[in-house]
Order: sequence, then C-alpha cells, then structure tokens
Amino acid sequence: MTFELFIFYVFSAVTLFSAVGVVTARNPVYAALFLILAFFTSAATWVLLEAEFLGVVLVLVYVGAVMVLFLFVIMMLDINIDTLKEGFTRYMPIGILVAVAVAAEMILVMKSKTFDRPIPEAAPLDSSNTEAIGEILYTEYVYPFEIAAVILVVAIIAAIALTLRRREGVKKQDQGAQIRTRKEDRLRIVKMKTEAKQGER
Amino acid sequence: MLAEYLPVLVFLSVGFAMAILMLLLGSLLSPRRPGEAKDSPFECGFEAFGDARMKFDVRYYLVAILFIIFDLEIAFLFPWAVVLDKIGLFGLIAMGIFLGILIIGFIYEWKKGALEWE
Amino acid sequence: MIPLSHFLIVGALLFSIAVAGIFLNRKNMIILLMCIELMLLAVNLNFIAFSHYLGDMAGQVFVFFILTVAAAEAAIGLAILVTVFRNRRTINVQELDDMKG
Repeated sequence: MTFELFIFYVFSAVTLFSAVGVVTARNPVYAALFLILAFFTSAATWVLLEAEFLGVVLVLVYVGAVMVLFLFVIMMLDINIDTLKEGFTRYMPIGILVAVAVAAEMILVMKSKTFDRPIPEAAPLDSSNTEAIGEILYTEYVYPFEIAAVILVVAIIAAIALTLRRREGVKKQDQGAQIRTRKEDRLRIVKMKTEAKQGER
Repeated sequence: MLAEYLPVLVFLSVGFAMAILMLLLGSLLSPRRPGEAKDSPFECGFEAFGDARMKFDVRYYLVAILFIIFDLEIAFLFPWAVVLDKIGLFGLIAMGIFLGILIIGFIYEWKKGALEWE
Repeated sequence: MIPLSHFLIVGALLFSIAVAGIFLNRKNMIILLMCIELMLLAVNLNFIAFSHYLGDMAGQVFVFFILTVAAAEAAIGLAILVTVFRNRRTINVQELDDMKG
C-alpha cells in the first residue's frame, strides 16, 4: 500500500464517518459540525485528485460561508429537537435497506472493467490547476459562466424578498439627512423689538 | 506535484495530534468531583429560567446570504486573474458582463435597504 | 496509486448515506437540506475523479458551476425555511401539508 493510498483511505474514512454523523446526530448543531468535517476531508481528497483550486473553493465557500449560514439558521429557530427526531427508529430499517440497495447497485457497476482506467501521469510541477480551469472557463464555457451570474442575482433577490422585513417605529440616525441639512432648515432668526428689563421703570 | 502538499499534511496531522493530546491530558489529569450544585445551570443566583439557546436576529442571516453570493463572485475572479493575459480582451469583456449582472443585484439590495442596520 | 473505482465507491457510499439520511430525518427540514449538500458532494467527487482519470478539465469546470448553484440553492432554501418557520412556528415537514390558494 503506497503512502498516497493510505492518505486516501484515512480521509475517505473520516468523510464517510462524518456523513453518518450528519445523518444520525440528535442535535442539528452537531450535524452541521459533522458536515463541516465532511467538506473539509473531501477537500483533501480533491487535492489528492490534483483539483487544488476546487478544494480551496470548497473550504472557502462551503466551510466558510454556507455552513455559517446553516448554523445561523439553526441558532435562529428555537426548534424542539425531540419531536423532530420522532420516527427515527421506525424508518431506520427501510432507510438502511434503500441505502444498502443503492450502494450495492452502484458498487457492482463500478467494479466492472469499464471503470478500470489506467492511472494518469502526475501533472508536471510547473502546471497550475487554477490556470487550466481559467483557460476554458472564460472561453469555452463563457455562456454558462454568465448564467452563473444570473443565478447569483436570482439568489440575492430571492433572499431579500423572502427575509427582509421593514420594522415599524424604529428610531435611527440618518447620516445623509444630517449632513445635508442647511442652516436655513434649523435656524430661524426672528426680528423683535427691544423690551425694557422688568422691574426697571 | 502532490509531494508539495506534504508540509500541509504534516501541519494538519500535528494540529490534530496537538488538539487530541491537549483534550486527553485535560481529561486525564483534571480532578473531577461533580455535585448537584455544580451541575446545575448557573443563572446569576436565580433559579434558571428560559432556554439556554438564544435566538439570533434574522438580519444576521441576510448578511450571511449576501456574503455567500459575493464570496462566490470572488471565487470566480481568481482563475480569471491568473489567465487574463492569455484570454485577452474576450476574457475582459466576459468578466465585465459577469460583474455587470452582479452589480444589478448589488444596486437592488442597496436600494431595498438590505444593507442598512436599523 | 489509487484506482479510479476507489473514488467512485467512496462517492457511491456517500450518496447512499445521504439517501438513508433523507429517509431517517424526514421531519427535520434543516437536516434534509444538509443531506442534499452531502449528495452534491458525492456527485462532485465523481466528477472530479473522472476529470482526473480522463484528463478532461471540463469536469472540474462543471463542479465549479455545481458549487455555485448549490450555494445559491442553500441560500434560497434556508430563506424559505426561515419564512416558513416565521409563519407556522414549525419546520416539521409533515405538518406543512396544507396549501393556501
């Protein structure tokens, strides 16, 4: 067993273990933390496959942003955990049955000779995975690339439309209005006649 | 190629080993004498009332979503910056359109007041 | 060196664990969303493995787009979840069974 294979086994074992953790954890916060571990070890596996850029993106975008979002939502909703776990044991047999069936079918297919590909040569030292992605992403796949921007805009608009609520009666400072005020808006000079001091006559 | 990642692997394994070692030493060496009063939740001298979990405000969530979107936008910028001199004007225009579409979303959220913290 | 089928089997196992998770946690919408993320992770692993063994970068570009779409999906899904919770005070999927039309 080569060292590389050993590393692969370690990281895949941790990935699968944490995937089981996501599925079985009682507390959703633990499930989210297990999912972070699964993403992190998957990123390591991707680096083994010489997809360094995607590994880094997975850690940056998923561990750094999407999982923070999941944790925010878990903390934001005060959920009664016990009622949500009801039926866990009742559906256990059928769940495991389906999972084993799916896994067995896929593994039987993958064991066939079709997927018996020769191991490719390692990329030369001066080649860059990021460059290789960039070279085709912005030329050959430019149309999907622009569609990705549209999808992101859809996500922005949907998130704002769904969650933004104006609050009534909030007192707050409006710095723009404060700066724009002129002397005439606030100050009124009133002409008055002089009056004699009281008690002096 | 992969050999270059050996320092990262060493770093990871030393980090894991240190964390596990510290937790293990702490649990082995520390005295543990639990009592009823010690195990009860501490609420500043009162009997505990309310849940330990505090609800977060929805506004944090909106900020986190907008962060994800712009995080991905930056992720798209990295390979572009690396290959810009190879793909030339075409790549520049492609990225211009990409950023232009996202700026429409940015203007929308600005005008909607999603960035304001009232 | 690592044969291709090893990566594919890890992906298959990851996918079937996520399928089992959808069966087991059919009440908690948050865990359901997390299981979908796990499925996408398994799919991405397959894409990257094939991209590496076939020497075709298109697989990695595809994974990049999947990551983009999945992040947008997670953001919108959680926004819907928050809105549902605000209106119904529950995220139990079985209680969300009436439509208002």
